[in-house]
Amino acid sequence: MIEVKSVSKSFDGLRAIDNIDMTVNSGSIYGLVGTNGSGKTTILNMLCGVTRQDTGTIMFDGARVYENPAIKQRLWYIPDDLAFYGPYTINELARFFSRMFPHWNAAILDVTLQHFQLDRDKRISRMSKGMRKQAVFALGFATGPDYLILDEPIDGLDPLVRQCIWELIVDASADRGMTTVISSHNLREMEGFCDSICAINHGKVFIERDLDDLKSDTHKLQVSFGSNVGGTADKQGSAARTGIDVYRDLNVLKQWSSGSVDFLIVRNSQQELDRFVATAKPVLFDRIPLTLEEIFIYELDRGNK
Amino acid sequence: MIDIDLKSRKSIYEQVIFGIKEQILSGVIAPDSKLPSVRELSKQLTVNPNTVQKAFRELESQGYIYTVSGVGSFAYAPQDITPDDGLINETRSKLADSLRELRLLIPDRQVFARMVDELVQTVEPKLTSVDRAAAAHANHAKVKGDAR
Repeated sequence: MIEVKSVSKSFDGLRAIDNIDMTVNSGSIYGLVGTNGSGKTTILNMLCGVTRQDTGTIMFDGARVYENPAIKQRLWYIPDDLAFYGPYTINELARFFSRMFPHWNAAILDVTLQHFQLDRDKRISRMSKGMRKQAVFALGFATGPDYLILDEPIDGLDPLVRQCIWELIVDASADRGMTTVISSHNLREMEGFCDSICAINHGKVFIERDLDDLKSDTHKLQVSFGSNVGGTADKQGSAARTGIDVYRDLNVLKQWSSGSVDFLIVRNSQQELDRFVATAKPVLFDRIPLTLEEIFIYELDRGNK
Repeated sequence: MIDIDLKSRKSIYEQVIFGIKEQILSGVIAPDSKLPSVRELSKQLTVNPNTVQKAFRELESQGYIYTVSGVGSFAYAPQDITPDDGLINETRSKLADSLRELRLLIPDRQVFARMVDELVQTVEPKLTSVDRAAAAHANHAKVKGDAR
């Protein structure tokens, strides 16, 4: 388990990370999302002990990560920029890492490289972007990490490579209970694989939840009570004419209309929605599950007001 | 194999639960047969193992599967399961949607009603001769009643 408590970080007087708390459970695939410049990379750098936080603690299974080789040997970090690896071949890097990581498994590297069809004697800098990432993943999985920290690892890679890498992550998670923290802009993809989501804006956490809980809390509704008998569509049909707010019993976060159809974003349980339908008896009622992207945009929108 | 649609608005968790329920109720997963382990299934589908774990827990609490400690999870027989209201409501909704679509294609009310009747007949298990006689008698009484 990774526990981040009251962590802040400033650069040249600019508060990049502002008093954040994060909890990553063991075996979780934890998605870190946020707008550009929100502080994701800074957070990941602090998680790996590459950057030191100004205040607060970052603990891996109760031990501080900063300058702690015992933790760092069980951790593999893939940054967005792979410049460090450039001049070396996969074989040279394998030799280097085999001495640094006690759980180094050459057989795993062999299998993964075969699967990816990479040339072991080619310099990393001479590979395509996709192959470079594959190489770094292959090397990483061979170290048998308990923690995998990824900074936008697969954004910009082709679908086949992405699928391969997700399989590796899921297999390691299922087989060894590996914990993954991954940041990405591709919310649609993250939604398919993460069990927890942490959303950052301006260095602050504005969502940190189990993904399914997050999605079952907020709903998008399409409701109509029918249009005016005379032919012109009312905003809320006959209900509006009586002057009663039909939605008063719902926790409405946002509302807009198109003709006689109302669209609402509500925070209510399924039972509360069932009760609403039974009492108000709308002509049209559709509950549309929100995607992670929509929840993110909506929450961000609300927060910025 | 359960069909997971990553593009669907339905969460992976819901899709896994629904997929397994369907397979158990239809007999694809035979009664008392062992389900793949959480590990195996998550690798087969390339789905987060925590999600599969949650789905298995929910299926157990809803009475679709039972767990033998140290061995694995097993399916109950369809007759020993009470299909939950959630599943019934969901399937009803889908049926209502399809009926609405069909109605738009068949403007004639009586033609539509007849077609729906026929469909219901094809879905019903075959009646025995005793049931058929009882049904015919009941129908005859209704026709006489309507005529008054």
